[in-house]
Amino acid sequence: MTDDPGRETPATTRDRLKAGFAPGSTRRMTVLGLIVGNALAQLDPTQEDSVLYASGYGESRALEDFLDSFPAPSPTLFQTSIHPSAVQQLLIGRQRAIREFMPLSGGDLLAFHALRASMLAPSARALLCGGEETGTWLLEHRLASERTFGFAAALARQPGTGSLGRVRLAHAEGKGSLGLAGLFDLLHTKTEFDGWIAPGWRMTLTWA
Amino acid sequence: MTGALGRNGGDPVPLALLPGRDLDDTSPPAWLSVLRELGASIPGEGWGTPQRPVFVTGSNFGVGGLYALRRFGETSFAAWGAPPTCTEEVRRALGWGPDVSILSHACVSAHLGLLEATRAVEAGLAEKALVLSFDFLSPFVSGGFHALKILNGDFPLPFREREAGSIGLGDGAAFAVVSREDGDFVLEGQSLFNEMHHFTANRADGSGFATCLAGVSGSAGGLRVWFKGHGTGTLEAGRMEVAAASQALPGAPITGWKGSLGHTLGSCGLVELAIAVEAIRCGTAPGVIAGPGAPMAGAVATENFSTGSFDGVVCASNAFGGAHAAFLLRHA
Repeated sequence: MTDDPGRETPATTRDRLKAGFAPGSTRRMTVLGLIVGNALAQLDPTQEDSVLYASGYGESRALEDFLDSFPAPSPTLFQTSIHPSAVQQLLIGRQRAIREFMPLSGGDLLAFHALRASMLAPSARALLCGGEETGTWLLEHRLASERTFGFAAALARQPGTGSLGRVRLAHAEGKGSLGLAGLFDLLHTKTEFDGWIAPGWRMTLTWA
Repeated sequence: MTGALGRNGGDPVPLALLPGRDLDDTSPPAWLSVLRELGASIPGEGWGTPQRPVFVTGSNFGVGGLYALRRFGETSFAAWGAPPTCTEEVRRALGWGPDVSILSHACVSAHLGLLEATRAVEAGLAEKALVLSFDFLSPFVSGGFHALKILNGDFPLPFREREAGSIGLGDGAAFAVVSREDGDFVLEGQSLFNEMHHFTANRADGSGFATCLAGVSGSAGGLRVWFKGHGTGTLEAGRMEVAAASQALPGAPITGWKGSLGHTLGSCGLVELAIAVEAIRCGTAPGVIAGPGAPMAGAVATENFSTGSFDGVVCASNAFGGAHAAFLLRHA
């Protein structure tokens, strides 16, 4: 499941996705929470799944608003601004406990780190989700993403019925990098890939 | 006691800052010298390469710089203002290669780094793995916890009954090297559970604590262990943690150290692991900090105690979202 809203406004995103959440619950949700939450919800996470969440900058808008709430800092924005917030907004809203939840951040190697963590997860299903939301003044300082996007994919060691593709990581001499937006683009456009995504690590992505 | 808003004042709150460090960040951050010193003591070389990956964990990274950037327009802080940019600055300062993962899950962050490092080594993807965890206070953090009304003018007294609970915060940094064969200590039974019940509260029945500890009590079964809890100083969470530990690990002395250290947030799991290691090495574990109020259970250690008669310690941490993490530490 991928979502590329382009230059859609936050209000439009909220309106587009609100039907997937409990009535009234989207009022305090962030754009990242809506987009990642909507994508992850399609996979119907259960307690025994491992959830891996990747975002370089996390809750950029909540961070901006929390900082602007000083000298009377907002407790709601403080808790909303923490890195794992996007996934928590969905799962707390649904009261859906999960055993393993791994929130990752990173830059040029974030796709590799998220995929490695997914493949090391012991559960039968690893749900890899992630995304970014654009900031306003944070973006001016290159401390937020230039794009808003979100995705979620279920990974399993054995291909099941209806599997969409296959991803393979292997040690191999060579250099390269793949950030989160790069991984998103491969998933969104279902593009095949064979190359280095980190120093010493090669990824092969094929589609059914 | 320090004003929760640093140079902008605010109510006085208990903050355990590094000696000589102000709550407001400098550029470059004053805490960078601490990380350089810590980095110089890490055994081995080649960190940040495929065979020796690094896992950096924390909750706030350089958010103090972000606060300075926005509140005071100090653009020199920008490079430290986000987890990827802050970690990149730390990576360069410590001379590591590029393979540096970042895990950020509030106050269980360090546990996640330890778990990922363990998995990478166990799977044969790495010869050794380094986990570095740090969290340094800023008005962003102290202002936030003060707004949540759990950081106030009282000092924290974990696992003690009192009229109102209260936490303190502290700067923290620590590292661990995980390998398959070297080392004096073993981590086992690494366990996680995420209640996803409420952003800042646990399920009232304590089931989240119990489920997480059930994951580690199998490894601790038949062993004589003591329990190092999360113990921030809030009352409800303290009572639930004590009840769950007493149930899962009958007879285990219960201690927690945030009454003296303050809550070092995303680094607390690793900072307190380092203290647990030293406690075992020197044969004495610190009890909870002294103060008014009865202990929440007879098992709460109000005095230092000998670790000589124990096989290991179960260390636990908790975080926003009802996140729980625990592991067993014992001699190799």
